[in-house]
Order: sequence, then structure tokens, then C-alpha cells
Amino acid sequence: MKPVIKGNSIAIPSSQEFLTDVDVFIEGMLRGYGTDESDVADIAISVSELVNNAILHGNESSLDKAVTVTISRNVDRIEVSVADQGSGFDPSEVKNPIDNGNLLKEVGRGIFIVRSLMDEVAINATDRGTTVTVAKNI
Amino acid sequence: MKLTDREQDGVIVLEPRGKIMGGPDATLLHDKLYEFIQAGKTRVIIDLSRIEWMNSTGLGILIQGYTTLRNSDGQLKLARVTDKIQSLLTITKLESVFDAYDTVEEAIASFN
Repeated sequence: MKPVIKGNSIAIPSSQEFLTDVDVFIEGMLRGYGTDESDVADIAISVSELVNNAILHGNESSLDKAVTVTISRNVDRIEVSVADQGSGFDPSEVKNPIDNGNLLKEVGRGIFIVRSLMDEVAINATDRGTTVTVAKNI
Repeated sequence: MKLTDREQDGVIVLEPRGKIMGGPDATLLHDKLYEFIQAGKTRVIIDLSRIEWMNSTGLGILIQGYTTLRNSDGQLKLARVTDKIQSLLTITKLESVFDAYDTVEEAIASFN
């Protein structure tokens, strides 16, 4: 299975070796929209966090399950959704990474960073997968 | 991500380039850091000026390096932190953990 691009979506097998494919696709779309470079970086970082979560925690690196990333833009807003086919991992359940006791933990900051960089984060976790939709006002 | 390294005044200077987003790229920095620790070289600077951006995976690698070096009586310091990475360090409160310097020379001098 290889990355498949259809219009404004890219689907990848659940392996981190395809993170770069997603990044090239997303940054290409964002630059095509004429997005400010600082916003490109914020959105690219956020998408990388969500795709990592989808691969590792959602699909548990099962190569026969896909992660699908879809991007869209209207006048003043860019929206990206990241969908996995796992059993409903809810990334909002992680502990607060800026509590003193968690500061030196090596993992657990992904969704916190996404919430900091994006204007909206919506998580829809079901037993057929999790879709995280993020939006940034531009 | 690409990675170069050099030794200057007894201090290891690592210079990663590109993006740190997870997967194979991320292990490169992690493995290099451990190579130097195994060789007993425990004064390390990471020059971040050529990193376009990193995500939480990159921060995790920095923390792991910081902790491991500290446990080996060594130290990890940062130099030339970009605005984007500084913003992440601020958001995550990790700026209180890492010593960061405007230049590599200042970071090297801080070890003496």
C-alpha cells in the first residue's frame, strides 16, 4: 500500500515512513492557497502530531489500516481533518504536559501543541475510528 | 532531516537540518546523541538554527538527551533556537528546562 492522493485528500498506510508524504502534500496545498509561512508551519506541525497519533495510537501501526488527511479552505479559514480506522483512541485523555510532574516526560505533548497552534480542535472518537478536525483562522 | 556534528573546544556540536516530525528522521538525532554519550562525550550543544520546525517528537528527543546527559554528569544545551521552536518551548514550559544561547560560541563558553 502506498500513499494515495485524491483531490484535497491523502491516504497513507499506518507507518511513520509516510509522514513526509503527508507533509509535502499539506504544505503544497497551503502554499497553493497563498497561506502565510508562519501559518503553514503551525498547520504542518499540527497535522504531523495528529497523523502520528492516528498511526501509533489509533491504528496501532497496522499497515492494512489507513490514515486519511483532508484539507480545505474558505475565505478566512483552513480546516484539516485526520481520520484513522482504529477503535476510538481519544487523544484528549492524555495528562497535562505542563504540570511540573510531567515536564520531563518524553511523550504526551502532541494534542496540547495542536490546541495551542490551532484555533479550533474537534475530536470525534467512535468504535470505527477517530477523526480529529482542526481549523485555523487566516 | 540531515545531521552534521563536530567537536569544538571539547564540546560536541550537533546541527540537525530540516524538520523533525517523527519516524526514521527522528531516530537519526537520537542515535547520534547516544553514540557520543557512549563515547564519554557528555558536553553537547544542539544548534537548532537550521531546523524548519519540529513537533512533540523533536521536543521528546531533546528531553531524552537532556535527561540522559544529566544522568551521565553531562549537559545538553541549545543554541540559535528559531522563533518557531522558541514558541513551542514557551508553550510547553520547556524553556525553563533548557539552557539556550544566541550563538554556538556563547553556548561553548558556558561550559567553562
